[in-house]
Amino acid sequence: MLESLNLAVNFFLADWMTIVYLMLGVLIGVLFGVIPGLGGTTAVALLLPLTFGMQPEQAITLMGGILGSSAIGGSVAAILLNAPGTAPNAATCFDGYPMTRQGKAGIAIGAAMAASSIGGLIGVAILIVVLPITKSIVLMFGPPAFFMLAVLGLTSLTVASGNLLRGLLAACIGLMIGFVGYDDFGGTQRYTFDSNFLWDGISLVPTLIGLFAIAEMIKLYVEGGAIAKDTDPTKIKLAGTSLGIKSVFSNMPTVFSGSIIGSIVGMVPGVGGTVASFLAYSFASQFTRKNNHFGSGDVRGVIAPEAANNAKDGGSLIPTLAFGIPGSAEMALFLGVLIMHGMTPGPMLLIEREWSIMVLIIALALATLMASLVVLASAKLLVMISFLNSAIIIPAVLAISLVGAYALNAHMGDVVVAVIFGFIGYMMIKFEFPRITLVIALVLGSMMERSFLQSITIFRGDWTGFFRDTTSLIIFCLVVLALAFPTVHKIRGMLAK
Amino acid sequence: MKLKSILSTAVISAALSVGAVAQDFPDGTINFVVPYGPGGGFDTAARALAPYMEESLGPNTTIVIQNVAGAGGRRGATQVARSAPDGYTVGIFNLPGFVLPEMLGESVEYDLTTLSWIGRLENQDYVLLSRGSSDIKTLDDLLVQDDIVVTSHGFGSTGLAANQIMFSVLGLESVNPIYVGGYSGTTAAIVGAIRGDGDITVSVISTALSYVDSGDLTPLAVSGTARVWDTVPTFEEAGYPELTPINLQRSIAGPPGIPQDRLQILRDAFMAATSNPAFLKAAESMGMQINVLDGDAAGAEVNSSFGLFNRFRDSLGNPN
Repeated sequence: MLESLNLAVNFFLADWMTIVYLMLGVLIGVLFGVIPGLGGTTAVALLLPLTFGMQPEQAITLMGGILGSSAIGGSVAAILLNAPGTAPNAATCFDGYPMTRQGKAGIAIGAAMAASSIGGLIGVAILIVVLPITKSIVLMFGPPAFFMLAVLGLTSLTVASGNLLRGLLAACIGLMIGFVGYDDFGGTQRYTFDSNFLWDGISLVPTLIGLFAIAEMIKLYVEGGAIAKDTDPTKIKLAGTSLGIKSVFSNMPTVFSGSIIGSIVGMVPGVGGTVASFLAYSFASQFTRKNNHFGSGDVRGVIAPEAANNAKDGGSLIPTLAFGIPGSAEMALFLGVLIMHGMTPGPMLLIEREWSIMVLIIALALATLMASLVVLASAKLLVMISFLNSAIIIPAVLAISLVGAYALNAHMGDVVVAVIFGFIGYMMIKFEFPRITLVIALVLGSMMERSFLQSITIFRGDWTGFFRDTTSLIIFCLVVLALAFPTVHKIRGMLAK
Repeated sequence: MKLKSILSTAVISAALSVGAVAQDFPDGTINFVVPYGPGGGFDTAARALAPYMEESLGPNTTIVIQNVAGAGGRRGATQVARSAPDGYTVGIFNLPGFVLPEMLGESVEYDLTTLSWIGRLENQDYVLLSRGSSDIKTLDDLLVQDDIVVTSHGFGSTGLAANQIMFSVLGLESVNPIYVGGYSGTTAAIVGAIRGDGDITVSVISTALSYVDSGDLTPLAVSGTARVWDTVPTFEEAGYPELTPINLQRSIAGPPGIPQDRLQILRDAFMAATSNPAFLKAAESMGMQINVLDGDAAGAEVNSSFGLFNRFRDSLGNPN
């Protein structure tokens, strides 16, 4: 392993073009990450033909630059516009956007960048450590464990959502939206009305764009003014980024818990980054006792999901490389790049091409750092967005949002979905329903149903199988903990009185 | 409606008039539709072929890959079938995958038999696999089992259909195998089998190769006429010749009615590209199974696919 690491480092030092490729990947990744809907997937697809003439390791470096940086760009849009640039950035909105409204966008961006960099590095470190045992990790997660993971996600978020009844209602609506589409297991179509568009269900990205970006613009239109409320731009130190960076170092436990959750969830094939950052957020919001004001501009609410978000990149490479099961569209495309360069993912890849994998790991680590620096360098300019008048910002954001929704799949249907969810999102803001719970239920619902049916088939109808599968049992214990913790805390509080 | 028909007449007549001067074609951008998302087998195959076909078509032509994913490939296939037959839109098709919906009684908006077939690029044979750690080491071991659990992508997938046809011919339908479906793809189903969710799975050979090398899976028998592993028989050798034609083909076609001269140019470019040593070398390193057929022969495979599935129609129901 050390030998491959050495080879990989030499590869970066031998040719300055390698660094140029990495830089190119980072710049494009950040740019595409900022625009909701475009994201890393589009960037990888766009640059793919460019890699044909390259050495495999150079292509990996370029792609590593994009993979490591798009989520960092995405956090900027989440913080400034409440429009998650990429789906995993959605959790960053909860506290990032309230901070912007309070005129603390610079602090939020600084915190997000520092958390992303540290999270990314921790993720890479964990990846290197577990690389030799990747296979057993992937094999630990069967359908029963997937089911329990979905239950854990839904439980912890409903518990965290404050108003339990509204939280449950939003989750139910999310689950029902998740039912739309072709049901792989039963082989039937649900609520598709014979439309090819609805065959694949309601896609996550246009839903997010609607619920967050468009809904927020409707709200801004109704209220008028700029995004940052009651703050005079001349009085605000525009950058404030150094304060944000400092806040990360004074909240290291949050960074570590976020990064570890991100890495672990990232390793589970098919769950992906959205769930990773949600779990990290809800963990932080539940287990933080000191000055907990999550949801209304707590900087830790930015730190936790951003650390998880970048730590998960390292983790999600495991199922992609070792088994060729991509965890996201981005990874699926990256898989294509590998195959095109004669590197077939599978159990043998890690053994035969260890040094190429090391190149990728180094590229990912460098990309997170570079991308954070790029964003920090342009923070002053970016933060100005939050002080722009609504007459400028609303048309611009709406245009970007709708183009983003369309670009995802070149389908007008996605634009319609985004607009519809824009209005639903506005109603949810108005009547104080948690939008996040709806989104998580939508993400987890289909996975939960599918893995439940698979498990029951494997257990031949015997549901006790969920408690005989070790991984599933461990996650079940976490579910019980997540339910018990707030209750115990409440009882202790009452006893103290 | 009226305007639409006028427009389409205009398009067709324009296409015909341009078509008269064959040398003008192709000039501009050819859209190469991949009916799946980027990164999969069809996408990589198309992306590997495109630059070599572009080279054969001359300096005035650019081939652009367009991923039109959705509805299990139906959206992309429909888009190609409905495009203007000017030779500037082609697509890569899944056979027998795109035949399957009709066999399962669903309506589709494309007719494979009328497409302008340009050629077949790949033909992948299937392999029947068992988990490496299970007791099933040979086809004979499998035949005496009375309790079989299979992992698959799910109902409507080509892999499950291949599996069902195999079990029908092998006489295993009577033991009522349990099908665990819903995996996100063939590879996920393979990993499910390795993990022990099931004992048996089916995949195209190229996908299974590295898992067989690592000992995680044991191949029991392969379709097609050639052995892949020295000790593993073809179905034909094992006494089940009916299973020889089960395969997965990747073929290129355009919408119905591309003028003959333009179609010929595309077909020639396809043949030139697929015999280019540089392409063959690249394809080999990517694990593609290049098995070229010319346009007419590729089109004829559509009917064979319908024939094969028709014979086993009763076995193709939803197992869940």
